[in-house]
Amino acid sequence: MRDDRLVRNLLLGPALLVLAFTVLYPFVNAFLLSFRDWQLNKSPQPTAFVGLENYTRAFGDPHFINSVVVTIQYTIISVVLSMVVGLGIALLLYRPGWINLILKSFLIFPFAMSPALKGFSWRFMLNPQYGIISELIGRIYPPAAGFVWLGQPFWAMFWLAITEVWGWAPYIALVFIGALGTLPQDAFDAAKVDGASTIQTFWHVTIPMLKPIIVMMILLKTIFSVKQFDAVVTLTGGGPGRATETMNYYVYKTGFSFFDMGYASALAYLLVVAMFIFAFFYVRSLLHREA
Amino acid sequence: MTLLTTARKPSLPLGRNRSPKPRVRVEAWGWLGVRWVSLFATVVFIFLPVVWLALTAFKYARDAYSTRLFFTPTLDNFQAIFAPPNSFGPLTLNSTLVSAITVAIAIPVAAMAAYAFSRFQFKGKNALLVSVLSVQFIPPVVIVLHFFSIFRNLSLLDTRIGLVILNLSFVTPFAIWMIKGFIDSLPGEIEEAAMVDGCNRFQLLRYVSVPLIMPGIITSAVFSFIQSWNEFLFALVLTRRNAVTLTVGLMGLNAERGIIWEQMAAAGLIIMVPIFVLSLTIRRHFVEGITMGAVK
Repeated sequence: MRDDRLVRNLLLGPALLVLAFTVLYPFVNAFLLSFRDWQLNKSPQPTAFVGLENYTRAFGDPHFINSVVVTIQYTIISVVLSMVVGLGIALLLYRPGWINLILKSFLIFPFAMSPALKGFSWRFMLNPQYGIISELIGRIYPPAAGFVWLGQPFWAMFWLAITEVWGWAPYIALVFIGALGTLPQDAFDAAKVDGASTIQTFWHVTIPMLKPIIVMMILLKTIFSVKQFDAVVTLTGGGPGRATETMNYYVYKTGFSFFDMGYASALAYLLVVAMFIFAFFYVRSLLHREA
Repeated sequence: MTLLTTARKPSLPLGRNRSPKPRVRVEAWGWLGVRWVSLFATVVFIFLPVVWLALTAFKYARDAYSTRLFFTPTLDNFQAIFAPPNSFGPLTLNSTLVSAITVAIAIPVAAMAAYAFSRFQFKGKNALLVSVLSVQFIPPVVIVLHFFSIFRNLSLLDTRIGLVILNLSFVTPFAIWMIKGFIDSLPGEIEEAAMVDGCNRFQLLRYVSVPLIMPGIITSAVFSFIQSWNEFLFALVLTRRNAVTLTVGLMGLNAERGIIWEQMAAAGLIIMVPIFVLSLTIRRHFVEGITMGAVK
């Protein structure tokens, strides 16, 4: 067809324009800004070029180093817990049955809930005086009654991760339920014939067959954990101290509380680099799966 | 779980199945116990935060600040958040308008691009597709750093249109991938047949392709609406008074005694309920939708 080119360009054009204006332009502009000094509260325009100073400053900034460490810890805890809980829920619910069917349709709720609201709702439940979760924990393990969960660095991090696990584990479970349904029954029959126990079957048959999906989910969850922001603001506010101050939150503070735009752009770009490493592997596994 | 099925079915007459029958029964009961306990734990884990928030929304302060299960229900909290100074009315309007306009712009644009990606072959297509996927990995804070200063100069700070522009940055690429996934899964033969019957390109789009991919378009529209509705960072940075959305409005429910939890819960319910209803309508496509459209 002669007019194919024209039609195709007309179809693609608007989307590419939108993306160029809302993504590409900011992306390039922030990169250029990262080499300049710009205190927004003093000057409406960027001032001097400072070369790599913003980047060298980052590596000597203990608060930034702290945010990197926090992000890594947080990512590991939340990814591991989300995967384990998600897989657990999937194994529990993947067989057909009316209870499972009903529960499965509720699994999307935690994932669809606004992350900012998640943070607030867990903060409420963890309140040492009237929080339902602190109360339940206090009933089960009396020495912990009245413990200020969000006042202690480790536990604040732990509950921040749990807030995230609450949203993600059900979603991961749904993905696994979908995948479990497509696994060939022969493999399980063969394992049964060979006298494998349930646990052996799980480790040596189920898990290896699920591996591509597991890898993809780990990457996807990692990407989301690395840029965690909403629940940090509403659950812990980065505290106690700076114990839950993730990279994204630190960039936000640098830019919009201290108005140090040049430095914030450089920090944001370091976050971009971190994201793109994981994104590279995610895109690869996604395209690989599609092909 | 495999054992459960073994116990129910008559065991196969195979010499290699060594475990004697009674032991299978005992193990099966063990598994059944584990299963029910985990099922109970899962239900509590998934429902407790939602249910507790929903209950708190209908409590007086004295009941909200306790863990008692029984209480006198009230609608006071909803009244309180819609009255000044909280005025959640305009906030609800902002959230609705921003999300609806974002969807109204992003979805047609994305559907067109998705169609081109799915049905046309051209040079550089794969590179372009991967770029569209990859832009979703740019941390949103990069986007907002840039637009904050631009909007300051254009006095677009604290406007709904400013928020719409930023939401487009993550909704558009997501929707392109998601709709492309739907179109890819449709066989091209119907369209080819229409071409053979003498449709031109535009008739083909108007009368054949668009109706065919409509379910995909609707699903991704619902998705995009949910994402814009839940958006927090952009609204937190860009809005002060006039364009504040519901998620940012939560931050304002403070008093001297700290966060007013019963009002927070009421506001939470207003944020949650529409999203839950919407997510149920696209339940079937929820999972592939996110993995395919990938990442906000």
